Amino acid sequence: MNHRLRAGATTAALYAIAIPISLAFLYPYWWMCLGMFRNARQVLGDPLRLWPEQFDLSAFAEIARVGGVDLWVYAFNSFAITTASTALGIAITAMGAYALCRQPDLPGFRWLRFGFLLTIMYPYMLLVIPVYIVVFKLGLLGSYAGIVLFLALGPIQFFLFDRFFRTLPREVIEAGICDGASEAQILFRIILPMAKPVLATVALITFLINWSQWFPILVISRSPDTFTLPVALLSMNGELGASFRAIMALAFVTTLPVAIAFVLAQRRVMEGMAAGAVKG
Amino acid sequence: MALAATIDLAWRNRVFYLFAAPFAALTAVFGLWPIALSIQVSFTASGTALSAAPSYVGLANYATVLADPLFLASMARTLLYTALAVVANLAFALAMAMLIDSPRLKTGTMFFRLALFLPVVTPDVAGYVVWRWLFDRSFGSINAALGSLGLPEFGGIASVDTVTTAILIAELWHHAGFYMTIFLANLAMRDRALEEAAAIDGASAWQTWRHVILPQLRPAIVVNLVYATIQFLKTFTVVVVMTKGGPADRTNFVSYYAYQLFDQARYGEATAMATILFACVIALSLGAFKLVDREAAR
Repeated sequence: MNHRLRAGATTAALYAIAIPISLAFLYPYWWMCLGMFRNARQVLGDPLRLWPEQFDLSAFAEIARVGGVDLWVYAFNSFAITTASTALGIAITAMGAYALCRQPDLPGFRWLRFGFLLTIMYPYMLLVIPVYIVVFKLGLLGSYAGIVLFLALGPIQFFLFDRFFRTLPREVIEAGICDGASEAQILFRIILPMAKPVLATVALITFLINWSQWFPILVISRSPDTFTLPVALLSMNGELGASFRAIMALAFVTTLPVAIAFVLAQRRVMEGMAAGAVKG
Repeated sequence: MALAATIDLAWRNRVFYLFAAPFAALTAVFGLWPIALSIQVSFTASGTALSAAPSYVGLANYATVLADPLFLASMARTLLYTALAVVANLAFALAMAMLIDSPRLKTGTMFFRLALFLPVVTPDVAGYVVWRWLFDRSFGSINAALGSLGLPEFGGIASVDTVTTAILIAELWHHAGFYMTIFLANLAMRDRALEEAAAIDGASAWQTWRHVILPQLRPAIVVNLVYATIQFLKTFTVVVVMTKGGPADRTNFVSYYAYQLFDQARYGEATAMATILFACVIALSLGAFKLVDREAAR
């Protein structure tokens, strides 16, 4: 009896640690949501309130235009740039990683792998500046193409594909060769259909990562017309006149799509990110 | 003869070159070319760096950077912050992973994992913007909460003494869930029979953790150590959003300092600084890869 009592007390103590910490991690989201409904006087008067005085949506009217550009343009840019760079990145990285895994000893392939590793080791924010010069020389400054092409390359995508192709049994490919399939047929008819779960994981993670990107987009853009939501939020954060509730409303709009995607596919995201990291 | 054989081999496998071509093109154009360009610019005078005929100044930019007391102070601050952040994040992540993995917590573990991982996928700009206001002395709820509990005020990002702690908290919120997930994946793969054996031998809970569980977490510790070190050496977004390097240069870490030089068109010095950092990261990564390889060989 005494033993069971002690075990119960331990369990209660563990919950007493885990629950407050989890709630503390979620609190900034709650506070952000409250902030977009409350005006400055209300927040200053009672910063700790846990429920808004009113559901006032005028913050969204304030962010209908940010920095001279309509909010829907930023939202469209976010979806368009993230989707395009994710799709392109997956196609290019899957084919590249497959070639490097199948024939690692072909002339030049070791150099390609080494060059890619070198690229992802370069301090990212310091790479972006010379990339500005490259994009300028290519005449892609201020274009969607420049942003999308740069965002298409990433380490986690490559490592997840690399890991999958390495564990692929050789018999699958040999069976394809015996059946007289061409290499292109082996890749597109046999391997990629088998890779569907990996493709889905990589697509999801790449989407989440690229949605959050801001620095390369800021650098390659020539005007706010190609800004995405995080970049718009950053420039609003630097404005002196921006109201508190407008900033919270824009932070909410920036966060909501990824929060929904994450909650819908939590396991896949967490396991995929851990797997991509362990390989790297 | 050897060349002919190489060309023949490549030609017979041309389909693989076709598969790899777009990947190689992106790596070259957005990776190797800018890196080469950056190294080239680091040997030129800033004023002429982007012109058609840059004037080369040898190692002058490197000498300037290495003699710049601001850069050296920034470097020291970056290393100190990295050490603090790595220890704080990994200790917290490991503690939370042990807690969530505990067999006593039956319901709610998925909720705990979600709560800690959601900030990882939240756009960092959005997260740090919210934290910036949470720390605010009049708008923020942190000081209001401390005040209502009768505790002293927390200076947040406005005070020299507390700014490092403040961004450490915000960064821990953003990153710790990731490290925790790696620990949890490792914990799920461990050999539980060893713990039963330890229990039969009469080992205490602490002894079991220290001598049976912790040694099995080596792979996760190594991976997290490498990841977190590289992560925090690059600390940038939190500075841009919350502090702009201040107050009194207290958060002016190397990557932000180099970025400011770029902004002031001091390209030569900025790229020299980038090249020095690049060399450090490569040395560090090679060391880490060796470590991981040795781990894998065990």
